Amino acid sequence: MPRFSAAVIDHFTNPRNCGRLADPDVAAFVGNPVCGDQIRLTARVSEDAVSDIGFEAFGCSASLAVASILTERLAGMPVSDIAGIHQAQVDEWAGGLAPDQQHVAVLGADVAHRLAENHRDGVIDEAGSVAGG
Amino acid sequence: MVGMPGEALRVPRATWRQSLTDAVRAAFSYHYERNAFYRAQCDGVSPADICGHADLHKIPLVPVGMFKQAGAHVLLTAGLADIETEIRSTGTGGVPSVARRDALTTTRASVGILGGYRDLFGISKGAGLFLCPSTAEVPEMGMVKVFNLMTAMLDDHRYLVRGYSFDPQEALQYLRSWEGTMTRYIIGPPFIIARFMRYLELESIPLSLDPDSMIIMLGGWKQYTGRSISRDEFNDKAQRLLGVDPSRIRDMYGMIESNMLAIECEHHRKHVPPWCYVSIRDITDPAIELAPGKTGGIAILDALNTAYPGFLLSDDVGEVDESDCPCGRTGQTVRFRRRRQGAELGCCAVSIEKYLDSNEVVAECELADAAGRV
Repeated sequence: MPRFSAAVIDHFTNPRNCGRLADPDVAAFVGNPVCGDQIRLTARVSEDAVSDIGFEAFGCSASLAVASILTERLAGMPVSDIAGIHQAQVDEWAGGLAPDQQHVAVLGADVAHRLAENHRDGVIDEAGSVAGG
Repeated sequence: MVGMPGEALRVPRATWRQSLTDAVRAAFSYHYERNAFYRAQCDGVSPADICGHADLHKIPLVPVGMFKQAGAHVLLTAGLADIETEIRSTGTGGVPSVARRDALTTTRASVGILGGYRDLFGISKGAGLFLCPSTAEVPEMGMVKVFNLMTAMLDDHRYLVRGYSFDPQEALQYLRSWEGTMTRYIIGPPFIIARFMRYLELESIPLSLDPDSMIIMLGGWKQYTGRSISRDEFNDKAQRLLGVDPSRIRDMYGMIESNMLAIECEHHRKHVPPWCYVSIRDITDPAIELAPGKTGGIAILDALNTAYPGFLLSDDVGEVDESDCPCGRTGQTVRFRRRRQGAELGCCAVSIEKYLDSNEVVAECELADAAGRV
């Protein structure tokens, strides 16, 4: 089995929606304090669905790719659905992550949940506060 | 050169210069031809401009900070499909630096580092007490990966940092269990070994390792708090508390982005491996190369890397020495002085220490809470 799925290679090499949105309605940051992988999502929300989204990510290739994949998947998605995204879903979107990359699926699900929670609570994660994991 | 670095480090100086120049120039050509991003940074310098050793400093450098950036994919000469390992280091800033190596680079680096260990440590048996987490716990941490290669030369070994906690009593138990049966080696970042020695000192525990025992270190002497460990004090304590002669206390210097691991000989000079050229640069103008003995920014030109251009301008400050070492090796030795002003304190050891300390604080608070509740 190749170490990286076609989806991970594609999104790592050609990241989509890279960067932080100006004046977002919601922002979510999750970092793994041990390995250092970090994903930040910034989004605008219209009629309770994501209308525009950007990512910043640091860490392994799978983390960068999953952050990019998330922005494509979350665009247009109702915030209530984002709250229900689980690790297996992220793994599937990424085309199947290797065992040593599964922490990235967790990170991806965590940052999605945080985005939904922050929207509900009216919170914008500003600095690199470490959360979830 | 890679398989037997010990031989390559003992050739006449002119031969070393020629073989190093050939290897670095070939590596420059390789990346220049295949990596459009790097070629765009070359600003008119091409492989045709690298005619001799004196031209090596013209090879354009990649600042190590780029390995932290989200768009790091542009650094790759190899495609992601060819990447086999991702090694990382996280400093006080929290953003990891990630170095991606393809299969060829991974093989070359593994063989080369092992060859360096064989040449400079001469270990082929014994027991290693690794005062750091295992690769199973932190599989991508550069320092641990480099230490882990050493297990191939040992008959037994234990990793003593688990769940970001370290129990010096357990370390002592292992050292005692190996006594009289195997030569004992202690391997780890200086600050954890210093903790272990502090424990022995405070508890007045007598311990004398074996005549061939060594202490082997990597990770730097500055703690995350900014305080430095004194090498002289460390050596004195190791001799007094562990019975290890200072000539057998060896430090190493490297960075995860490079395949350069400079290993100390018995004269405490860190030998640059024969596939790397360390070039010292003017701090204010990195285009200017400084003469050996002058202090400046450390740049490394690494000929082994096929995954990305291994021509790096680090955030470290130090100097090189090109005089022959009394140990008989030629080539260069490197001395790290400090981090560049404004650069974050960053390495795997700092990250481990920070979490060890935070765990101890948590544990102490829990004990205090429990005591308060009783």
